Amino acid sequence: MRLIPSRQLAIVVAAMATLPIAASAYTQAPMLDKLVQDKKLEPVDKRLPATPQVIKPLEKVGVYGGTLRSALRGNGDYNAILRLVSPQNFVRWTMDFNGIEPNLAEKYVVSPDASEYTFSLRKGTRWSDGTPLTADDILFSMNDLVSNKQFYSNNLAPFTVNDKLVQVSKVDDYTVKFKFAGPYISFLEQLATPLAQHPLLWQKKYCSQFHPKYNPHVADLVAKEKAKDWAQLMRNKCGDTEIATRWTNPERPTLDPWIIKEPYGGSATKVVLERNPFFWQVDTKGQQLPYIDRVQLSVISEVETIVLAAINGQLDFQLRHISGIQNRPVLAENQAKGAYKIFGSANVNANAAGLWLNQSTKNEKLKKLMRNKDFRVALSLAMDRKEINDIVFLGQGAPWQLGPYVSTSKWFNQKLGTQYTGFDAKQAGELFDKVGLSKRDADGFRTYPEGGRVSINAIAMISNPVHIDVLELIRKQWAKAGIELVIQSSERTLFYDRAANNQYDISVDVFSGGQDASLNPRAYLSIHPQESRMSLEWTKYYLSNGKNGEKPSPSMQKRLDLYDKWQTAKSQAEADKLFKEIMEEAANEFELIGTIRPALETGVRKANLMNVYQKMPSGWTYPTPGPTLLQQWFFAK
Amino acid sequence: MSETNKTDATVNMANLRGGVEYASQWRLMWDRFRKHRLALVSMFIVLAFYSIALIAEFLAPFAPDEADAKKVFHPPQMIHLFDTTNGFKFAPYAEAYTLTRDPETLAPIYVLDKEHKVAVTMFAHGFKYNFLGLIPTDIHLFGPKTHGETFFVFGSDRNGRDMFSRIIYGARFTLSLGLIGVTLSVTIGIMLGGVSGYYGGKIDWVIQRLVEYILSLPTIPIWLALAAALPKNWPPHLQYMAVTVIISLIGWTHLARVIRGRFLSMRGEVFVIAAKLDGCSEARVIFRHMLPSLASHIIAAVTLAIPSMVLAETSLSFLGLGLQPPAISWGVLLKEAQNIRSISAAPWLFLPGAAVVMAVLSLNFMGDGLRDAADPYSH
Amino acid sequence: MLSAIPFMFMVSLTVFILIQLPPGDFVDSYAASLSASGEVIDAATMADMRHRFGLDQNILMQYFQWMSGIILHGDFGYSFEWNSPVSALLWERMGLTLILSICTLMLTWMIALPIGIYSAVRRYSIGDYFFTLVGFVGLAVPQFLLALVMMFAGVKYFGIDVTGLFSQDYANAPWSWDRVVDLLKHLWIPMIILGTASSASLIRIMRANLIDQLYMPYVVTARAKGLSETKLLLKYPVRIALNPFVSSIGWILPNLISGAVITSIVLNLQTVGPQLYQSLLSQDIYLSGAILLLICLLTVVGMLISDILLVLLDPRIRFE
Repeated sequence: MRLIPSRQLAIVVAAMATLPIAASAYTQAPMLDKLVQDKKLEPVDKRLPATPQVIKPLEKVGVYGGTLRSALRGNGDYNAILRLVSPQNFVRWTMDFNGIEPNLAEKYVVSPDASEYTFSLRKGTRWSDGTPLTADDILFSMNDLVSNKQFYSNNLAPFTVNDKLVQVSKVDDYTVKFKFAGPYISFLEQLATPLAQHPLLWQKKYCSQFHPKYNPHVADLVAKEKAKDWAQLMRNKCGDTEIATRWTNPERPTLDPWIIKEPYGGSATKVVLERNPFFWQVDTKGQQLPYIDRVQLSVISEVETIVLAAINGQLDFQLRHISGIQNRPVLAENQAKGAYKIFGSANVNANAAGLWLNQSTKNEKLKKLMRNKDFRVALSLAMDRKEINDIVFLGQGAPWQLGPYVSTSKWFNQKLGTQYTGFDAKQAGELFDKVGLSKRDADGFRTYPEGGRVSINAIAMISNPVHIDVLELIRKQWAKAGIELVIQSSERTLFYDRAANNQYDISVDVFSGGQDASLNPRAYLSIHPQESRMSLEWTKYYLSNGKNGEKPSPSMQKRLDLYDKWQTAKSQAEADKLFKEIMEEAANEFELIGTIRPALETGVRKANLMNVYQKMPSGWTYPTPGPTLLQQWFFAK
Repeated sequence: MSETNKTDATVNMANLRGGVEYASQWRLMWDRFRKHRLALVSMFIVLAFYSIALIAEFLAPFAPDEADAKKVFHPPQMIHLFDTTNGFKFAPYAEAYTLTRDPETLAPIYVLDKEHKVAVTMFAHGFKYNFLGLIPTDIHLFGPKTHGETFFVFGSDRNGRDMFSRIIYGARFTLSLGLIGVTLSVTIGIMLGGVSGYYGGKIDWVIQRLVEYILSLPTIPIWLALAAALPKNWPPHLQYMAVTVIISLIGWTHLARVIRGRFLSMRGEVFVIAAKLDGCSEARVIFRHMLPSLASHIIAAVTLAIPSMVLAETSLSFLGLGLQPPAISWGVLLKEAQNIRSISAAPWLFLPGAAVVMAVLSLNFMGDGLRDAADPYSH
Repeated sequence: MLSAIPFMFMVSLTVFILIQLPPGDFVDSYAASLSASGEVIDAATMADMRHRFGLDQNILMQYFQWMSGIILHGDFGYSFEWNSPVSALLWERMGLTLILSICTLMLTWMIALPIGIYSAVRRYSIGDYFFTLVGFVGLAVPQFLLALVMMFAGVKYFGIDVTGLFSQDYANAPWSWDRVVDLLKHLWIPMIILGTASSASLIRIMRANLIDQLYMPYVVTARAKGLSETKLLLKYPVRIALNPFVSSIGWILPNLISGAVITSIVLNLQTVGPQLYQSLLSQDIYLSGAILLLICLLTVVGMLISDILLVLLDPRIRFE
């Protein structure tokens, strides 16, 4: 799926289409003209790198101006801001999510065994405060923060190989080398996701004042700001991934196209970002990006209110929160009124509503059945997926089990996706009989050979009403087959609490890891401590090297062994082969039961908003819409 | 009061009082109540609601959880009593519609199927159930002649389930379990409020601090903890009952505070002192003499408490504590209607709200009628 | 009055225990929210966070540290979610909350009292039935739904802005006359929605209590003495009928802060209610604890005021 440069060449990837543009040819947004005239800002040529990255606009070269309006959901939605400005790292995804291209790195070199990565920065790239970006900033981020035990008590997974943290060294002022303890073939992909933003997150000049190594008087600052320790102060001032404070300090220098003007505080009703006058990309005509002056985000607590704001034409772009298929009719009907267009975005997940059968359920009688493939197949065949699709997904999905559903995906596996998706009550009945459930009680439900009704409890989150509707249909379909399903819907924290305490037989949630299966393999491998709910006990076993938890099934053990080999594969071909084996083994074992593959998600964009990549996938590893490069969006006049 | 002995006694007394016919207090009340036309009608409506709840299965033409992929968001339709295609004859029917979707908006569009009509009949055969929980049968008051056909007098919901049947089933929960909470909190409220206001002093102080204490407790974490703590193998109605009991253990405080206020002002009044001097027991003073003066307020409080109890369910379901499917109540139905999709495309999903209003109005008018009938001063 | 101190102490302790009663803690809820968006957080990091926030301590220790912070330094603790002191977060929202609540309260009383009196005096008139019907419809429709329907109608037919109490231009602006005007333009929708249900119930209560008084012998006597109808009505029966309102002041004050949470969420009001709700759900204990402490204080004050007013309203009342 992803285009990773072949290792043998130890290739050098040049920046895309660096057209020779005369130094005086760069132009800037009109809103900056006055500042330059007043000498409050240097001329645009001085602010840009010597060879700025040239972005070829998707449809056509744009014009400056305008405010892009979108919505955040309540107080905890900081990732929505990140998705709009996009994590600015060495590399980024191509728009179609099929490959990697250079971003802040002008070029990069990968060693033949994929354990050393050398990144070269563009000379003259500047932070939003005008300070040049150099190798020292990266060393500060990696060596003084990422590897500082007071700041991160544990090794960050994206920078760790063989339990050892990456070694980062400076080659020259604009070149850094990342050296891992072994081969790490997927590092570039990790850098393109939002999970490994750390190298370019912190500016040394500003952030070092909160670091005890650089500021011996940091304790005074800590006391003044009423923080607990320097690490907390650092996070409050300079942010971190996954916390809101990244967007609460307008002073924090960044490399983003827009920078915070009105911060995302505890009672903010709107957040405003304004263009970064030092942004380091230009279009093919030499106009400094971004085109759009401001990004304005309304903080709205209730999803239905966001839908209303969209209908009302108050949002220029919105996908997050309103993308559910149920909103499609009302959003589509009001297009003319709100002067917007809807678009469909394909979710990268593997299933919209998957049943994670708990292989380690505390119900011993049921556990035996759960581990019996015939039982799982029978459960799957007893489901009428067409009914589920027609009712809950407006007929827009399709029956599906697991794995990417886009047939061009590298990880596409027909068997994994479509086996046992037909509705066959007769065969299901035979299989149930075969596994020893031929007897029924007075209410018509099947009983265990030892006695007692086969009653399965399923947990779901209230915040996903779609999942509860799906369960409600399955409950009736399974009842016809003689299996009782008890639905327990709850608030999110309680859902995770029940999962963590192994108090469930089935957990209903999306299957993530479709198109991005290798980046997000939690549905194929028991490796995620909260989400691999085929058995969190197996995850514990794997993560503790067998000290805790429960020994995984032979099939899972085989997959985990393959995964360990995959992580340290030396070549892309070898890695891909290993991962395909994992998928094949998952298909043979048929651990999880899927229902419907995700239907296209519905987003809205203002009718005159141009250069929007309409086929953007929707996901977190591809932080939609970030990689579609919002800096080249513009409003047609 | 209508026993023969008693009648004899009243006749004798009437004779003693000089030929004036004497009617008992209850009799007078009933007579006055009967004259209050609205109250009488309301009483019959209340009775009707309870009968509906009792024989819901018989009245509902379809099973309330029977989903139909081809009938989602079906608008309400009329049942035509007379078929005029071939002359004029009594043959109830409903139009048949087929579902298509707008290819762009995906909104459901129902096209009239002219070839086909759904014949409707009385005492139709439908899903199986036990009448009054005893007699197994499949006969329903009305339904499609051909089993498997559908019609929707109140429309259908997002899963193609018949709203009419769902509202009828919902009455069962709402009018039984829902009211337990109200009864409980009103009883506790009157008792503790009355005692607090009547005695004053230390008892009052203690009860008022208790009220303050309870009013200060945050409910959301209590619900969250409860949601986690309730045994998961409890059936939904039992879980819900536990929740209503907790609600009423908190909900009595308001009524108690108000009743206490009125009692404080009333206990110095002449009629109370007279009753005390007469040697009435304290319970008698409180319940026979003082409480009736508050009848209007109590009726108002009860009728106000019912809708809030029904609605409490809707807010609780945000936390996963309301009734869970497959249980149905009016609150659950209203909760399901709370989104832009329903407001813009399926306003018939608000019909359960109309049911709540009707139930509350008739309970209220009945209560008003009772109060007027019981008030010796009213005209 | 001195007894209020140990009482507050007891309540605050219960509250502090109660808010930690639901399963999990802030770190769990944080992990759940990260998990939902695809991030991994391992057990060691979670333990690290717990230590940083002091969540690994005994609950009583946490309580005493928090309390001593409040008493000794006026420090209400730190919000985990916002990485900022609780007091800063709280006061930002308090102003708007009070404006909205007091306006709504005044509107409610202004509507409810006259209508209640009218309904009682003209009992069983067309007007009385009309208000009864409207009142119960107002009560039986969930506020959440009412808010959504009104906003939908507003958007569909009037194209109004639905994103809160201010237009975007004034959202973060400093206070100015224009901003006040802007606020007033947006305030009426929440006022009506929040006021509907409470007006409806106030009308019923007023009507009921007045009816109880209207046919009392003392009213008949007063009327026989030739007192004008208005004076007669307002001086005695209405005064006594106000008794329940005064009794209820005790929870009007705390309700000003924490009432109508769900509605405020839908209407996107930056008031304290949604903040309390959010902080309780995410177990941001010091934030929710501080808000609840405030509510508890207001309850105690409200009950005291209400008891004093009861005596002023009806001098016959004695507490002993």
